[in-house]
Amino acid sequence: MATTPNIEGARGVFGTFWGHVLSKERQRVVALVLLAAAIAFPLIDGNEGDIDAAANATAFAILALGLNIVVGFAGLLDLGYAAFFAIGAYTYGIFSSYQIQPEWSSFWEPFQWLGLVARMHVEGVPIDHAHFQVSFWLMLPVSAVVAAFFGVLFGAPTLRLKGDYLAIVTLGFGEIVPIVARNTPYLTNGAQGLNGALPPSLPWYGSFGVASTPFYYLGVGLIVFLIFVSMRLKDSRIGRAWLAIREDEIAAEAMGVNRTKLKLLAFAVGAGFAGMTGTFYVAKLQTATPEMFTFPVSVMLLVMIVLGGMGSVAGVVVGTLILQLLQSWFLQDLTQWVHALGRVTGIGVLERVDLVQSIELIFGVILVVMMLYRRQGLIPERRAVTALTHAEQTAVPSRGGLKGELKPLHRTAVDPNQPLLQIRGLAKAFGGIQAVKSVDLTMMPGSIVAVIGPNGSGKTTLFNLVTGLTRPDAGRVTLAGEDITGQGPHVIVEKGIARTFQNLRLFPNMTLMENLLVGTHTRTSTGPVGAVLRTPGVRHEEAAARERALEVLGIFGNRLMPRREHLARTLSYANRRRLEIARAIVTEPMLLLLDEPTAGMNPTETLELTDQIRGLRDRGISILLIEHKLNVVNEIAEKVIVLDHGEKIAEGSPAEVHRNEEVLRAYLGRTATAAARAAAAS
Amino acid sequence: MGFFDVLLQQVINGVSLGAMYALLALGFTMVYGIIELINFAHFNVFMVGSFVGLWVFEAMGFSGQSEVLYGLPLIGVLLAGLVVVMLATGFLGVAIERIALRPLRGVSGTAPMITTIGVSYILFNLVLLTVGANTLNYANPLPKVSWDIGQATLRLREVLLWVVSFALMLGLHYFVRYTKMGKAMQATAQDQEAARMMGVDVDRVVVMAFFLGSALAGAAGMIFGLYYNYTSFIIGYTAGLRAFTAAVLGGIGNIPGAMLGGVLIGLIESLGGQYLEVRWTDVIIFSILVLVLVFRPAGLFGRAAPSKS
Repeated sequence: MATTPNIEGARGVFGTFWGHVLSKERQRVVALVLLAAAIAFPLIDGNEGDIDAAANATAFAILALGLNIVVGFAGLLDLGYAAFFAIGAYTYGIFSSYQIQPEWSSFWEPFQWLGLVARMHVEGVPIDHAHFQVSFWLMLPVSAVVAAFFGVLFGAPTLRLKGDYLAIVTLGFGEIVPIVARNTPYLTNGAQGLNGALPPSLPWYGSFGVASTPFYYLGVGLIVFLIFVSMRLKDSRIGRAWLAIREDEIAAEAMGVNRTKLKLLAFAVGAGFAGMTGTFYVAKLQTATPEMFTFPVSVMLLVMIVLGGMGSVAGVVVGTLILQLLQSWFLQDLTQWVHALGRVTGIGVLERVDLVQSIELIFGVILVVMMLYRRQGLIPERRAVTALTHAEQTAVPSRGGLKGELKPLHRTAVDPNQPLLQIRGLAKAFGGIQAVKSVDLTMMPGSIVAVIGPNGSGKTTLFNLVTGLTRPDAGRVTLAGEDITGQGPHVIVEKGIARTFQNLRLFPNMTLMENLLVGTHTRTSTGPVGAVLRTPGVRHEEAAARERALEVLGIFGNRLMPRREHLARTLSYANRRRLEIARAIVTEPMLLLLDEPTAGMNPTETLELTDQIRGLRDRGISILLIEHKLNVVNEIAEKVIVLDHGEKIAEGSPAEVHRNEEVLRAYLGRTATAAARAAAAS
Repeated sequence: MGFFDVLLQQVINGVSLGAMYALLALGFTMVYGIIELINFAHFNVFMVGSFVGLWVFEAMGFSGQSEVLYGLPLIGVLLAGLVVVMLATGFLGVAIERIALRPLRGVSGTAPMITTIGVSYILFNLVLLTVGANTLNYANPLPKVSWDIGQATLRLREVLLWVVSFALMLGLHYFVRYTKMGKAMQATAQDQEAARMMGVDVDRVVVMAFFLGSALAGAAGMIFGLYYNYTSFIIGYTAGLRAFTAAVLGGIGNIPGAMLGGVLIGLIESLGGQYLEVRWTDVIIFSILVLVLVFRPAGLFGRAAPSKS
């Protein structure tokens, strides 16, 4: 849950306070009870078999939490997650067993001194061998790194493509890793399985051996660690960027998120946790066979997070718990009952049904049913936010504006005598259609320029070319003297151009506040480690970003402010437009590109926004806008560019452009008389 | 056997496998072309088709490979089997679309793909639980007629396999190219919204794509049984992954591409098995999938790159 600085709203303070505290406290209490139950379990249930099953189950809970980062947070469907589990398992298995025994030589002496290798002498064998015995605690992070490396290696080729391809490539990867393990017996002992991996040991406890209880507690510890990491990551710059990618990749990129890098990061983090778990699992079982890591494992993990709720950390924990209980206990009991029922009723089929066998069928049914009827899972990632009070809904909208004490809206000083944006000969063709033909444009700092033209005249394509969403075929774009042609969208945001979209591209399942915080992505620098540790520097940066976001919300008066913790998809159309503009402003642009900002607004709202746009210009943001409402254009634009069929056909003040014959012809038809009549009429 | 005889033999084998993969790849490519969905259920529709074929032949009184037919009776039995199998899997595909996928149309993100994984898992486990995990001997009325070409052998079953696959692909090609429904499919693949505006019933087009794709998968499943003389609940996974690779190789959404891609994958499998090692075949095919995605995401014959929008 997001913590926001307390801004006094008109809402009933007590009710909100109680509601919030209660739900948060409730969460905390439930978490503590679960943790206490987890700790007490081996003490209460003395059955070694149960504890052993629970210890094995912890491994799958850790895996599910790791997969949730990839699938739930970043929206990347990884169907070969078990492969990374296998990589971690074999990494540890190979370095802690008798699988590889190189001949002893002086080369191994330093390693022996470090305790990683032992000199092994067998009676009657003339040559000594080296026995790897790398510590479990050392290998835990090492195998995480190795698995993360493979994650990057296999993620990188496909992350540029549509998300579906990642699913199929990971599926293939998940299939070949066990094959490779089977086919390389000198490393893995093939299908027979790697044997004799060392259990971990602790100085005060000694070796874990084959006892289940210490493994169980280690597993619970790792689960708690992963829950902590997941929660911290999610509510951070990194986590928000992942959610933004999941919601809308293009919009995320246009807000400054380097999607390839962040997707790789999610993939690597997920793979790393799987690798770590592999080490844990091998140390527990002291063996590893290729069959332990096949496709059904990946599917089971997917079922766990789908059942609990993709992206919901609490949901994943609950989903895992339910499935494990189902597998270990309920299904056996249920089978007994069904058999009893069969005996009573005399229906032979019921007597023979074995539900334990049909667990995978149940998995399939869970996947389909959850997707059809409850996509958000049992414990959704997001809870509904209380609706606005009557007073808030009926409040007279205050216009807000930029009168208050705002920090400068962008950080770099702009030379007022140098053109801010220069476009030279920009061109783009889609197949046979020349969408933009050799367009030139010069814009001075502090100005408002409007681009108008009939539908299909290339206005939005021009915006896409400037902001890097589309690569130009020819031409140059320079921003404050710096060539930015062909740079990626996230780079261009960083240089100081932000935009809105004609068809609105908000992150619908994120709150208003989170939408804005994604906008601060390029102006902040918290990395994954910082996000988890939450150092004072990170806290400070986060607080500053939130303050910034609130300031920008203030531009729109009380239209957005009371709704800041609502999901963006609950907003009205006009408010979505406002939020998109706000999200662009928090990127601290020198130049703001607005694609039909007043579309869908009534005349009053249009006037209000016109005022606000002018206010932005007065604060030093230059504005290039596409607009169909000519009264808006006349009102605020100093210069108007007219595009038709991808070509610039006129440029000048609004008044000049209105008199331009060619413009009239483009808008109103080909005959000069029609043009003249139209001119007379206006 | 000389080098060229071995090569010829492996080409014969490869083309046969390839024809089967191509039939399977067509289903992936048609559905992807129209609703941009990787249909994991397709893997096991193929497997179900193989079992339906077995049951049909058994119902007609065949078991194992001892009883063989020649001439017209053979053609009749094969055609009957093919029709029943294709109808059965075709309607299975339609049912999957109606029940599990239509409610999710327009839902973005991973939900539709996860649903197809669920459906695939359900099919897989239903067959496992009802039929069991044993590999079943396929009822096969094909006579063991073969011809020697040098030292390589061309068996009748291969020729028949080629003929059936080729006829089905030709039929599909003409259907898509020249019928009203086929043109509606092409239009929907290009731009669903525009097709809808022009009066195309997109739901019917999607149903048709599922029907045709699944029917072809069923045919491929029956061919699998006749070719290898066995079937098992587990065949869908490997074959499906290879067929998907074939579809990507040919450029996903591209129908002729899927056919060529299938044959290429079949050749890679048989030649790779001959000259490299059989146990590495899947690794080789997977590497090809990754390499194609990296260097030619549009496939060898595709036009437009798959882009995220």
